[in-house]
Amino acid sequence: MSTLLQNNQIISGELTQQSYSIDTFLGAGTQGEVYRAQANGRDVAIKWYFPHYIQNDLQLRQRLENAIRKGSPDNNFLWPLELVTQQNNNTSFGYVMPLRPNNFKSIVDLMRRRAEPSFHALISACLALSESFLQLHAKGLCYRDINFNNVFFDPNTGDILICDNDNVDVNGATGAINGTPRFMAPELVRGDSPPNTESDLFSLSILLFYMLMLHHPLEGKREASIRCFDQSAMNKLYGTEPLFIFDPQDNSNAPVVGLHDNALVYWVLYPQFLRDVFTRAFTTGIEDQHGRIRENEWRVILINLRDSIFYCRCGGQNFYDSDSVKNGENQKCWACNHSLVYPPRLRINNAVVMLNHDTKLYPHHTDQSQKFSFATQQAAVIRHPQDPNRWGLQNLSTNAWTITLPDNSIKTVEPQRSVNLTAGIGINFGNTVAEIQV
Amino acid sequence: MEIIKRPGGAMANRPLHFFWLADCSGSMYGEKIEQLNYAIRNAIKPMQDVAADNPNAQVMVRAIKFSTGAQWHIATATPVEEFKWDNLTSNGVTDMGLALQLVAEQLDVSQMPERCLPPVLVLVSDGQPTDDFNAGLAALMSKPWGKKSVRIGIGIGQDVDLEVLQKFIGNPEVKPLQANNAEDLVKYIRWASTVVLQAASAPASQVKDQVSTGVVPIPQAPIASDVEADDVW
Repeated sequence: MSTLLQNNQIISGELTQQSYSIDTFLGAGTQGEVYRAQANGRDVAIKWYFPHYIQNDLQLRQRLENAIRKGSPDNNFLWPLELVTQQNNNTSFGYVMPLRPNNFKSIVDLMRRRAEPSFHALISACLALSESFLQLHAKGLCYRDINFNNVFFDPNTGDILICDNDNVDVNGATGAINGTPRFMAPELVRGDSPPNTESDLFSLSILLFYMLMLHHPLEGKREASIRCFDQSAMNKLYGTEPLFIFDPQDNSNAPVVGLHDNALVYWVLYPQFLRDVFTRAFTTGIEDQHGRIRENEWRVILINLRDSIFYCRCGGQNFYDSDSVKNGENQKCWACNHSLVYPPRLRINNAVVMLNHDTKLYPHHTDQSQKFSFATQQAAVIRHPQDPNRWGLQNLSTNAWTITLPDNSIKTVEPQRSVNLTAGIGINFGNTVAEIQV
Repeated sequence: MEIIKRPGGAMANRPLHFFWLADCSGSMYGEKIEQLNYAIRNAIKPMQDVAADNPNAQVMVRAIKFSTGAQWHIATATPVEEFKWDNLTSNGVTDMGLALQLVAEQLDVSQMPERCLPPVLVLVSDGQPTDDFNAGLAALMSKPWGKKSVRIGIGIGQDVDLEVLQKFIGNPEVKPLQANNAEDLVKYIRWASTVVLQAASAPASQVKDQVSTGVVPIPQAPIASDVEADDVW
């Protein structure tokens, strides 16, 4: 139910002088209400503020004007496009932003299992989030309020959209919002310091943990021992006595069977390198702002995590963990409990890429000078056209590869040609060398 | 058959018990009780939407009606998705104290699950208690879950005893809301069943320098509309 604007009401853009016609009410938050609107046959979204909110947030207008002038850090933000006002009404205003398409679901849908991405799509969403927040922070901006309700994702592709960009401000500026409980860094919960880039990084780690584990990283035994989960409980758990549920030095806040099952199920499913980075994020990174995991590291970790996915014959997506393989552990599929058979894989420097039936390689993998680029496919796993038992890696780039066979003979793989997935073959993509392992 | 894409269940959450305490005394007769019925029915969908968007809580609803004596209107804790409102009728005096006794019984440690979010109690009245309100309040506050509850008071019309509602709320930061027309009542009931519900389980973005001495910080209530002459009780 909307309370601020009426259907068909006309409001006008400050920058373009365009008239926007209010259509459907989409939702309300603590700051205002969001509507769908039309201008020249184009659908947009408009956020309109509660008059009482504007009175409490004196920098709001200036902050929005700055954001509009600077423009969106990348295409994943539903960034403010222009301010809108209403004739004969000075009590409030709003801003125009792109409309979120229906294929995007909320993180709440993910938590409630109303949206079921594959691991591949989910990790792609985590990666896109890290990249977009890197772009925002690199511009000297601080988001201030990373939480469940500000991020949307497409469960099929892992594309993301970040909304509520009206709290974004220059890092260090005095803002109106301190963050959302469960996501705020401990120093913010305690009121020791205002939000900044480093507290954003803490919130990002919380959000990534939630997305990958469907659980909060600080909710273990201590949460279980609290009867009434109120403000003082939250202050203790997230502010004054935060303790990681998988802290290797202190198991007094370990997850409790029956209450925190997701944490227990997912933690062991992922490779050691992911557990290591979350452990740092929520041990050294919990009190020391310098210990927070930066987006750049998340990007590397999340790409490696996505590259370590392989399929069980039942279709379940599992993770290759070179640490557990080294230890000779017999890995079983989480879905069907059968022993897993590893597909061939490609070792590129310290990373391993599983060569599944649908694996593609990108400049990120084949060109050291183009880290994080997924612009064009450079290679794809392919089945031999005559012999279905033979699999190869097809060269989709424009350059020939040089391969070294196990007998040290050298061959060339021209564009469009393929190399057999045979153990011990080395591939030189140009400035990056890889080895096929089976 | 669709492949299960990822293991595990939904995110762990806690029950949140929500209680309506509705004044059904004779003075509510006529428009007032019908407007209250309308306002609560109107709030069901927004309440369900807020609950659906909140992975931290499992919202359970109950309701007490009080006039001469107090009775359960919805006795079973009902998942909010199944919550329906049967219209109340009015008759009798204002035994508000008995209503608090009744809710206090259900907030006893023996009656509540071991782990919960703070219960939310919304008291709606148009007058003043005719029984021992203080005894009822004392009974409620003697229960740990009563003490930890988030309490909201909504007054209907000019004759309501706001002091009593303030005592019930027990937090000087949160004032009783006085609805002087049907539109305000709709607004306040909706606020209590959405914004307050949300605040009690998953507080929204925290505004800077927000100080709270209560169980949870309660966001600002909507502002009353301009009073229209023909819409005044």
